[in-house]
Amino acid sequence: MKSMLVSIALFIAVGTVPSLSAKTTLEFWQFWTDSDIRPVLDSLVTVFEAEQNGEIEVNITDLTWADGQSKIAIAFASGRGPDVVELGSDWLAQFADTDQLLPISELVGADTSGWRGWSLARYQDELYAWPWILGSRVMFVNVNLLQQAYPDAEAPNPATFAGFQEITRKIHTLGDEIYGWGSNTAEKHRLYKKFLPFLWGNAGRILSEPSPYAPRRYSVVSSEMAIEALDFYRQLHDSVGYVDTQRGIEDAFMAGQVGIVLSGDWMIKRINLNPPPFLVGTMFVPGGRVPGISFLGGELLAINRKSRYTDEALEFVRFLNRPDVQVAFCKAAFISVPSSLAAVTDSFFVSQPMMRTMNGQMQRVTHPPVTPDWPKIEAAIERAVEEALFGSRFIAGELRQAQRTIDSLIADD
Amino acid sequence: MTQRWRSLALLSPWLLTLALFWLFPIGWSIYLSLTDYQLFRDPSFIGIANYLALLRDSDFLGALENTFVFVLGTIPVTTVIALALALLLQHPFRGRTLFRAGFFLPWLTSIVVVALIFTNLFARGGYLATLASLLGFTPPEYGFLFDDRTALFAIMGMDVWMSVGYYMLIFLAGLEAIPRELYDAATVQGASWWRRFRSITLPLLRPVLGYILVINTIKSFQVFTEIFVMTKGKFDTATIVFFIYEQALTTDFSFGYASAAAYLLFLIIGLVSLLPFLAFARQRRSLW
Repeated sequence: MKSMLVSIALFIAVGTVPSLSAKTTLEFWQFWTDSDIRPVLDSLVTVFEAEQNGEIEVNITDLTWADGQSKIAIAFASGRGPDVVELGSDWLAQFADTDQLLPISELVGADTSGWRGWSLARYQDELYAWPWILGSRVMFVNVNLLQQAYPDAEAPNPATFAGFQEITRKIHTLGDEIYGWGSNTAEKHRLYKKFLPFLWGNAGRILSEPSPYAPRRYSVVSSEMAIEALDFYRQLHDSVGYVDTQRGIEDAFMAGQVGIVLSGDWMIKRINLNPPPFLVGTMFVPGGRVPGISFLGGELLAINRKSRYTDEALEFVRFLNRPDVQVAFCKAAFISVPSSLAAVTDSFFVSQPMMRTMNGQMQRVTHPPVTPDWPKIEAAIERAVEEALFGSRFIAGELRQAQRTIDSLIADD
Repeated sequence: MTQRWRSLALLSPWLLTLALFWLFPIGWSIYLSLTDYQLFRDPSFIGIANYLALLRDSDFLGALENTFVFVLGTIPVTTVIALALALLLQHPFRGRTLFRAGFFLPWLTSIVVVALIFTNLFARGGYLATLASLLGFTPPEYGFLFDDRTALFAIMGMDVWMSVGYYMLIFLAGLEAIPRELYDAATVQGASWWRRFRSITLPLLRPVLGYILVINTIKSFQVFTEIFVMTKGKFDTATIVFFIYEQALTTDFSFGYASAAAYLLFLIIGLVSLLPFLAFARQRRSLW
C-alpha cells in the first residue's frame, strides 16, 4: 500500500513538472510542402524557437491548395483552428467577415511602412493579416523566337496592346508548331487572373470606386473598356493562342513552342533549375488605354481570433516577416516578391533580371476587391470569359450577364 | 441480466456507432437542408426554400442534366461490355486468368491515378487525339477535355473502362452458378447459342443483373472524383455531387443549400434504383 502511494505521488510530481515550466505551443498551418522548401521553413522555425529561449514551440501542419481552404474553414468553425494560418489573399474577406481572424491594425501600429501588400489584408478599414509572400505576373518571352521574328527590324513597343499583338502575331508566323501566345483554357481560379491584367490595362474595373455621389459600389465589368479588353484577349486567343492549362502552356513554352506566356515567379524557379535551350526574357504586362497593370495576389499570415496565444502568434508572424528571414525563405523557395521592402534590396532579388522585372511590375499592380463575395464574383467573371472564348462568343452579352450577377451579389449584402 | 439486455449490451458498440456516425448526421443534415445555414453563421429555419431555389438554379439543373447523361450513358454500355467479357472469359482457354486479372486491374487502381493518366491521353496531341487523326477523325482542337461537346463523354469513356472489369467479375460469378445441366439439355434439344443465352443465361442472371444495375446506378449518380481531377466541372461536366462540393466547401460554405441538393440526389437515386426492382418484379409476375 505504501509503495503504491509513493508511486502515485511520484506520478503526480512528474506529471506536474512540465506544467511548471509550460511552454507555449503555437499551431501554424501552411502550404509550403515542397521537399526543397519545407526543411528551410523547419530550420527558420527552429531559429525562432531558439530566439524565444524555448518558451515557444511551433507545430507546423501542412495544407494543400486543393483543399486547404475548406480545412481551415472547418477548423475555425469547430473552434479548433490554428493559432497562425497562411491564407490565400482571396480568402481573407470571408474569414474576416465572419470574425474568425484577429484584427491587427492596432497591434501592427507603425510597422506597416516597411512592408507592402497591406491592401490585400485590409477588410472594412481593418487589417486582418500580415502580407508575407506576394505574387504578380509578368510576360516571359522566348528571346530566340523574338529575334527570329525580327532579325533586322526593331520589334514594336511591347508595352502597348497594339505592339504586343503585333509581336505575338509575328512570332506565330515562324512555323506551324510555333504559337505567339500561351492562352489559358477554362481553368478554375486561373483564367480570370489572365484576363484581369488586360482589363485593368485598358482602364477597366470590376467594381466602381465609391464617390460622394454614388457611395455604394456597383459592377462596371461590362464597360466599354472591359468589352475592348476582352475582345483584345479573345483576338490573342483565337489568332495566335496555344490553348492549354497553365501547366501545359508553360511546358510548351519551355519546349520552345510558345513565344510569350503570362506567368508568375514559379516560372523563374523552373527556368533557373531547368534552363531551356534558348534565352528567356521578361517584360511588363502591356496596357491599352493606360500603362499595363498586373495582378497582385499573395499569401498572408493571419492570427486566429480564438487563439489563446495572440501575443506569441504575433511574435511569430513578425519573425517570419523579418527581412533576413524573408530573404532566407525566398532564396530557398525561389520566390521573387517578399513583402518586406528591406528584404527586396538583397542581391538575390536585384542581381537577377527576371526578379527585377517581377519587382518592377510590383510598381503597377492591383488586386481584386477584398470582399466575402469574391468567390462568386470571380466565378461570374470567369464564366463570362469562358463563354466569350469557348462558348457563345458574345463578349458584350456575357460581360453584361456577369455585371448583373455581381450587382445582385453586392445588393444582397 | 436477461437475455434481451445481454443482447442489447453486445449490440451496443454497433448501435452507438450507428447512432453517432449515421443516424445523427442524417437527421442533422435533413434539418440543415431546411435552414439557410452557412459555416460561421447561425442557421435559420426556412422550410423548403432551399429545395425550391434548387429547382430554379440553372447551375444545379445543368449538373442534374450532366449527371443523367453520365448515368444513362455509362450504365448500359458498362453492363453490356461486362456481360460480353464475362461470357467470353467463362470458358477455359489458355491465358484466361491473365485476361480476367487484366480487365479487373483498372478497378484496383486509384481513381486519381487513372484520371491523371487519362487526362494526358485526352490532351491535345495526346495518344487519343493522334489515334483519332490517324483514323480520319478530327479531334477537338484543344483536347477532348477542353471542349463542351466531348469532355463529359471522354470522362464517361474512362469510367466505363475502369468499371467494366469489376462488373465482369460479378457476372462471371453469376454465370458459374447456373447449372451446366440446363445448357446440356438445351444443346441436346438443338437450341442455338442465342436461344440458350436468351432462355437460360439471361433469366437466371436476372438477380445478378439487378444487383449490378442498382449498385452501378448509385455509383454513377455519385460521380465526383473524375470530374474534380480532370475538369473541375468546367466544359459542361459539373455533376450533382460536384455541385454539392462546390456549394458546401468552396464558394461560401452554404451547408444548408448543399444539404438540400444532397437530399434531392438521395431522392433521385432512391427512385431510379427502384426501377430495376420494379421491372424484374413485373417480369417475375408475368412468368408465374
